[in-house]
Amino acid sequence: ISECTLHLQAKLYLSIIDDVIESMRELFLDEGIEDRVLDDLRHLWESKMMQSRAMEDFRKNNNNSSNFVLQLPASYAQPEQEIPGKKRVSFTDAGGANTVATFSLPAGLTYPVQIPAGVTLQTASGQLYKVNVPVVVTQAPTGQQPLPCPGPKAPQPQPVQVRVNTASAHAVAPSILSNPTTVALASQTKTNPVPVQEPPPPPPPQLDLDYSALSDIVQLDGAADNSEDDDVTALEENDFLGIINAEAMKALQEGDRSSDGNGFSSSSDSEAAEDELDPLNSGDDVIEQDIPDLFDTDNVIVCQYDKIHRSKNRWKFHLKDGVMTYGGRDYVFSKAVGEAEW
Amino acid sequence: MAYQLYRNTTLGNSLQESLDELIQTQQITPQLALQVLLQFDKAINTALANRVRNRVNFRGSLNTYRFCDNVWTFVLNDVEFREVTDLVKVDKVKIVACDGKNSGSNAGE
Repeated sequence: ISECTLHLQAKLYLSIIDDVIESMRELFLDEGIEDRVLDDLRHLWESKMMQSRAMEDFRKNNNNSSNFVLQLPASYAQPEQEIPGKKRVSFTDAGGANTVATFSLPAGLTYPVQIPAGVTLQTASGQLYKVNVPVVVTQAPTGQQPLPCPGPKAPQPQPVQVRVNTASAHAVAPSILSNPTTVALASQTKTNPVPVQEPPPPPPPQLDLDYSALSDIVQLDGAADNSEDDDVTALEENDFLGIINAEAMKALQEGDRSSDGNGFSSSSDSEAAEDELDPLNSGDDVIEQDIPDLFDTDNVIVCQYDKIHRSKNRWKFHLKDGVMTYGGRDYVFSKAVGEAEW
Repeated sequence: MAYQLYRNTTLGNSLQESLDELIQTQQITPQLALQVLLQFDKAINTALANRVRNRVNFRGSLNTYRFCDNVWTFVLNDVEFREVTDLVKVDKVKIVACDGKNSGSNAGE
């Protein structure tokens, strides 16, 4: 997609943001809310947009502004700071506004930037992060997760303790984590092995109990029956389809095997029955799983339709005023015409 | 009233997240947040209608279609989107489309 298009698109988004914020200014004043809150909203909104790849290229064009906004505590406003690890960092308050300082790295200083332990950082959204171990801020290429190690003296990746305001921790943490250009602590947390979700526990014993009770009834006509009646098998499915799961089915089979007193070997029969049951079940399962997953995709186009036309299985779409999100990026159109076969 | 359809976009979602944060810190009321979203609906509808002027063609295969409450929802596979210069290939895309005919004649706006 061309640079020009992206630039226009970013301008469009910014103009929408402007539009909304300015038209809310009067209402906010009427409600007795400080201007600062509206500015906060704008900052939050813009920074989230900047973080998402939707405006990635626009952000790249603005080389002089930093990729993240931090407010440093007053005690940290030292002109220069010697940091072990060879880098000299100075943070200057480029913004001038009291609430948020957008700081830019001085000319000639590039990433990675090291922040020593003990510093408390505050992001634009107001969240406080206390840095307990020295942190390295690197500008990771987009999409790349592992951090390049900046130097021999740099702190090795360790689990970093972060203290956040509990109120909004859940809201902020994901957005920080998803941004590859924020402080390294976030990326480090990302590379640390995530605790693996335990496999779902086996069904509680009482389920087995239900089944042994039911299997007593079922087995009279069911798997243990010599005639292998399909109808009965089908009946069994239909009745219990809502509660059958794989493990319960096993329990059922085991119940058949153990409580069968007819004398002929039930194991082969139940296995045969199991073979019959499995294909029947799995056919249903596939269809069921398809539907919720089918509509679950990240690539979405939100638009309006002028005309939708179908002839046999050929569909024609006339769409307008749409926004498409694909691969984290946004595309906008005033008209879209398409064809598809069903 | 303008369609609320565009709230599920990057722009709309980031606005909702920002508003949620302000509500949590009690800097604004949920009522006010709703007003902001309504204003956003107007702004984005207007912007898309007036400030965007490009045309896209696409072709793919239709997996599913649904029409309910005058809203079309399609899922397409292996779609190619063509603009004048660009080509984007998508393996799966969902299209949600509201009726475009009503957008110009909204009462009580």
